[in-house]
Amino acid sequence: MAKKAAPAKGKAKAAKAGGGGVNKVAVLMVLAALVPFSLPTVALLFFTMLPTMGAWASERGPHKYAWLCVGGLNFSGVIPFLFSLWFGVHTLDESFSMLSEAGVLLWAYGMSAIGWLVYTVMPPVVASWISFTTDRRVAALKAAQKKLVEEWGDEVTKKGA
Amino acid sequence: MSETAEQADSGKPAVPSAPGVLRDRYTVRSNQPLPEFATPNAEAFVAEDKRDPNRNLFALICRPDLQPRVNIMRALKGATTMGFVPLVDWGTMLWPPLGRQCMTVIYERPVGKKLMANLRADFKRIDEYEINRRVIEPMVAAIKELTARGITHRAIRPTNMWYMDEGGERISLGDCVTTPPAFDQPVAFESVESGMANPVARGSGTFSDDLYSLGVTVVFLLMGRNPVAHLDEDQLLKQKIQQGSYNTLVGDERLPLPLIELLRGLLCDDPDQRWDIESLDLWLSGRRLSPLQSRLERRAARGFPFNGREYGNCRELAQAMAKNWELAIPPVLEGKLELWLRRAVEDAERAQVIAEQVRMALNSGNDKRAGIDLMLCKVLIILDPTAPIRYKGFNAMPDGFGSALAAVMAQKGDSRLMAEIILRGVPSLWFEARKSYLPDNSLMEGNFRELKGYLTQTGMGFGLERCLYEMNDSLPCQSPLLGEEYVVELKEMLPALNAAAGKRSDAKTWPVDRHVAAFMGARARSDIDRNLVQLTDPEPSKALMAMLNLFAVFQYRLGPESLPTLAAWVGGLVGPVVGAFHSREKRKELEKEIPKIIRRGSIVELYNLLDNEEAHSKDKHEFAWAQAQYHAADEEVKRIQTESEDRGTEAVRIGQQTAAVLGILIALITTTFVVIAKVW
Repeated sequence: MAKKAAPAKGKAKAAKAGGGGVNKVAVLMVLAALVPFSLPTVALLFFTMLPTMGAWASERGPHKYAWLCVGGLNFSGVIPFLFSLWFGVHTLDESFSMLSEAGVLLWAYGMSAIGWLVYTVMPPVVASWISFTTDRRVAALKAAQKKLVEEWGDEVTKKGA
Repeated sequence: MSETAEQADSGKPAVPSAPGVLRDRYTVRSNQPLPEFATPNAEAFVAEDKRDPNRNLFALICRPDLQPRVNIMRALKGATTMGFVPLVDWGTMLWPPLGRQCMTVIYERPVGKKLMANLRADFKRIDEYEINRRVIEPMVAAIKELTARGITHRAIRPTNMWYMDEGGERISLGDCVTTPPAFDQPVAFESVESGMANPVARGSGTFSDDLYSLGVTVVFLLMGRNPVAHLDEDQLLKQKIQQGSYNTLVGDERLPLPLIELLRGLLCDDPDQRWDIESLDLWLSGRRLSPLQSRLERRAARGFPFNGREYGNCRELAQAMAKNWELAIPPVLEGKLELWLRRAVEDAERAQVIAEQVRMALNSGNDKRAGIDLMLCKVLIILDPTAPIRYKGFNAMPDGFGSALAAVMAQKGDSRLMAEIILRGVPSLWFEARKSYLPDNSLMEGNFRELKGYLTQTGMGFGLERCLYEMNDSLPCQSPLLGEEYVVELKEMLPALNAAAGKRSDAKTWPVDRHVAAFMGARARSDIDRNLVQLTDPEPSKALMAMLNLFAVFQYRLGPESLPTLAAWVGGLVGPVVGAFHSREKRKELEKEIPKIIRRGSIVELYNLLDNEEAHSKDKHEFAWAQAQYHAADEEVKRIQTESEDRGTEAVRIGQQTAAVLGILIALITTTFVVIAKVW
């Protein structure tokens, strides 16, 4: 029974890994197919979104949240320029011209820096908030206990009195 | 009580002080003693009736340590029958010379004198022609009257008989209620059996005992002197046993034949053969009966040597052995008595029974000494079945046991012997030896069995105190808590405690002690033993509730409606009951309510307030819920405190997730704004 179950489990794992790989390849192929038609966009995004890629590459562990935070803000800094490109002259020259402007990179990288800041600051803030709420809960419980003692005397603290 | 003592007692000077007042009507002048009307154990004083100042009265003040015969007082009060000094009234009264409540009996003052001033004095004899009319007829009528009322006098003697007129024609019997039955009677006036008993334990006896006393009185009056004045009480009793009462008292005195017949009938030592009222009636109506011949116990062929003397019959020997308990044991155990009975008395049956008793005593298990004592008691009963219960020097008629116990306890004597007698079932040995069935004996035997049950319980409301009140219907409660109060009936208990409450020194003392509890147990019509058992409950609140329950029931049934001082006393003790409620709020509520009830003096309300089962149940449940809440909160606090490390990791994860969501949201919002800006 155990011998039969083990190969079945291995097959499922392989099928799952295989399925994910096929999807990734399909997505990459679609993106690769689009590259010739939107090369200016890709060039702009590639250079402006470097911090996001750096965040994605540098983060370890099962949960990767930094690239999402940094990426979101990074993208917020890039999107106005991307729209200018799309609604302006959508050429590679224009794209590189934009990249050569300090303001574009400053916005993109500045926003990603803010993203890092948010990502760094948020855990202590949440920790403080959780600590604050638990302290309040403990205080409320102790107050309730005190009220019970006032109402019922010290015997209420004894178990099964 | 000897006549010498009678004289001495009657001559006691009274302490001059304020008068006592009985029932707001009779004033008893404590500074005006009347020694001539005193009895050996009750002083006499001038008494005045406020409603009729011309009445000539005297009051007898009972000794607090002796139980008066209240039942007889009830029966004789107001009786106008000839033959008794009229008992006008009775009751308890604060007696200033003693500073306490005393039982007082008011009598009409006889116009004439006592027939005999004291037992050693000579007086004018009443001749045989007069004695019928002047003495025997009125006395027989008086005894008949008593018999009709179901009571006995037990104080018939010439020193307690009065001429009720100047001419000395009308004779009446004096007091018989101020002491236990026959307590004042000299041995001369008591039958052999009654004379053997301790004076305080002679018991009410029967009309036959009164007739015997009448017989002795007639002998004295006929002779005009005490024919046995030269004998002390022991010698007199011994002589009565050896020669019979008639021979001892009349001796060689020449008496008319009809009177010999009467006296042989009245002084017969066998109670079954002694004349009764019918025989006396026949005799008075002139029918002559053949005189009873005294049947003395057959003397043994040789005497039984005991304590340096030889005894010729069983009764005499039994009396000597009863007086020398320890010395009596060896000859019985060695079989000498059995041998004497077989060979000298030639009574093989009794010898066999005694041999069996000795064998059983020697083989008795754990307590050999107790077995031997019981054996000797039984041997004495076998030797003289009509004698009183005799045990280790204490001799009592079964119906005199109560008054003896009352006297011992009032005098704070050693009551262990009495307890031992009840616990070892000594009275049942006496009852088993009765030859004929008597309903009274069965009743008494049952009572003694019940007493044994009470004595085996040691808690409040039981023990010897319970026996005391069970055996003495009219005994006042002896509790020191009551102080000077004289409580004879249960309805008097709560008012007395209410009065005593104001004088108590220790607020923590309970208004119930062993005497009060036993008194309530004995006098209550219903069975309150379960409540009495709870009085000694180790849990103070339960014990207090039991006490409150008793008081509340008695107040509800017997009143009075308001007992503010007692309620305050009890209210001051209910702390543990209030404390039994867990809720502080409920406690405050009770503490607020109790003083109001105390002011109303209602123990019933106090009990109802505290004995609220619903409130107790609610309190219990709510307390359990509160406990559960407390412990749940405790658990949660502990959990929060122990999970702080995990919470740090969790906070980082949540922080990172929040940052991610925030980033995506900013991106989406920015995109939306840019799109709108471009499209617009």
